[in-house]
Amino acid sequence: MTMTGVILGVLSVITIVSIGEGVKRQVVGQINLLGSDLISVRPGNLVTRDKNGNIVKVNQIGNFAFGSGSMSDSDLETIKSSSGVKTVVPIGLVNSGVKLDDVQYNQSLVIATNDKFPAMLKQTITHGVFFDDTDSNKHVVVIGRRVAENLFAENVPIGRTFTIRGTEFVVIGVFEEFNYSPLAYGTDLNQAIAMPYAAGQELTGHNQLAQVLVRPESVDQTTAAIASINKKMTLAHGGQNDFTVLKQDENLSVVSDILKVFTAFISGVAAMSLLIGGIGIMNIMLVSVTERTREIGIRKAIGATNRQISEQFFVEATILSATGGAIGIGLAFVVNAVLRIVTHLNPVISLEVVLISAGVSIALGIVFGVIPAVRAARKDPIEALRYE
Amino acid sequence: MPIIELKEISKIFGFGDATTLALDEIDLVIEKGEFVAIMGPSGSGKSTLMNLIGLLDRPTYGSYKLGGKDVSRLRTNQLAKIRRDRVGYVFQSFNLLPRLNVLENVALPLVYKGVGANKRIKTASALLERVGLSDREYYLPKHLSGGQTQRAAIARALVNSPDIIIADEPTGNLDSESSRVVMELLSDIHKLGNTILLVTHNPELTRYVNRVVYMHDGVIVHDENTPIGEVPKLARKALNLFQRKTEEDDLAGVSALMKAIPTKHTTKKPRAKAKKPTSRSKSMKRIKK
Repeated sequence: MTMTGVILGVLSVITIVSIGEGVKRQVVGQINLLGSDLISVRPGNLVTRDKNGNIVKVNQIGNFAFGSGSMSDSDLETIKSSSGVKTVVPIGLVNSGVKLDDVQYNQSLVIATNDKFPAMLKQTITHGVFFDDTDSNKHVVVIGRRVAENLFAENVPIGRTFTIRGTEFVVIGVFEEFNYSPLAYGTDLNQAIAMPYAAGQELTGHNQLAQVLVRPESVDQTTAAIASINKKMTLAHGGQNDFTVLKQDENLSVVSDILKVFTAFISGVAAMSLLIGGIGIMNIMLVSVTERTREIGIRKAIGATNRQISEQFFVEATILSATGGAIGIGLAFVVNAVLRIVTHLNPVISLEVVLISAGVSIALGIVFGVIPAVRAARKDPIEALRYE
Repeated sequence: MPIIELKEISKIFGFGDATTLALDEIDLVIEKGEFVAIMGPSGSGKSTLMNLIGLLDRPTYGSYKLGGKDVSRLRTNQLAKIRRDRVGYVFQSFNLLPRLNVLENVALPLVYKGVGANKRIKTASALLERVGLSDREYYLPKHLSGGQTQRAAIARALVNSPDIIIADEPTGNLDSESSRVVMELLSDIHKLGNTILLVTHNPELTRYVNRVVYMHDGVIVHDENTPIGEVPKLARKALNLFQRKTEEDDLAGVSALMKAIPTKHTTKKPRAKAKKPTSRSKSMKRIKK
């Protein structure tokens, strides 16, 4: 009970920091994998930039995963026509209505894209094939691992059919496991059902573009390509800046910006609970000092100096808070393991954060142990011996 | 060589109107190796005197030399160190720490002295053997009988080989058989050359001591040497009178125990609640001298 505050404080600090660290590593890993020349165009004005084009603020945290705003087929053409652009991959969202034998499957992420999707994301197909441009309006899909496991309950459901919005589709391939979330943080591509762009258009009337992935002709031309896309898009949108062009490394700063908000919030909560925890420890120590007045009297009578008495209570307070910290750290590892299992976050607990938490919890005992220790030391031995 | 030298020791408690003169210019010299019983009714200043001698408290006025060294004006931490090295306490309510086992309790003073763990256990163990508790080393105090607990407490008092042992009503919570064992243990310790101060209400216990000091209202009213093995007449008389206490005595608030003792003063001493100005002015004069 006494240690709850410390435990929760340490637990939340370690957990949030480890999630942040995990996300950053994932994004960095993703950048290394996908190459720094990958450009993504998204609807909505997501970031504010300063004069030099550096991101100073992330605008729509809630909408970031798949922004509202509008990007349509005409924008796709605009981007294609920009200079320095080599390949363009549209990611259209099809509001799913996935059914297999009348069983609804809601976890999937149904996207409409083109044949360059695997190459763009450097993703391989383990079984079957990805659709090529000759399949562009055929009702075929390539599915992620989870979809195969959860919807079809088999690893290679190639040739099996299911329906999306009442239209029948055939599985022609299964993706290799996606280790990253290249489209937006938090989307699990292992739940993806990818269909040809034209098929998606046929299904929904028009494609709502969640994102357009662009690769320039060479790495050196990345900046030029971005400038060109920006210029053409702004023109096409009548001067309105309701879209966002991001480089891969900017993804990192966007993600860390979002994390900063969470981290600040959780840190506040953690600081509060550490403070409460410290006060709790002080409280229990004061109670203990009072309850053990007689013990203090005895110890003093047999020759304990004030310093030795205060040391005793000081050490007890520190042990209390350090134990709380240790439990908090232990729980953080448990939470970490749980998070790894149930979510696709890969939280990383660094040695640094563990050492800092341990240090903080010990410091807490030292700070809040002072008053009880001093109070114990100041007790008059005669009075203390009389205490019942 | 005197081990304890008290000169004109006074102790005043409280402030203003609530001032109490607990000790009034006490002079007392105790030689090394003496076994002294201090008797007197409640409120006569016995405990205050013991607290001063045991260095738990400091006198308001007067000087106290312990082993030739003036200790009446030392700071609390210096007092604690002298207590640790030179004073052993035996309390009426035993006062062992309930969460430590017997061995740890006995070794505790050595912890504060900074003695290493091995030596602590060895010393404590040897003393427990001496008081006949070597088979109870790992018991908690609550699992011992009263007599055993007090013997453990005596072992604790001896563990630092103190100059003086202060036993405040050591048999107060014990039955007669345990009392006898504890008193004989103290007597043995005395025979080994230790100085012991025994505070008691029980005149029978004076048969173990070689000197009895009677206190009343903060002064020593009588002080006599007595052969070991005998209960001095005065104490016996006091016992008899104590038993024949009348209702009138109760109402008057005067202890019958002290009626039999011839007071040194011809005039009646003031009650414990003395007027502050008189005692203060007296002490002031002394300081001026």
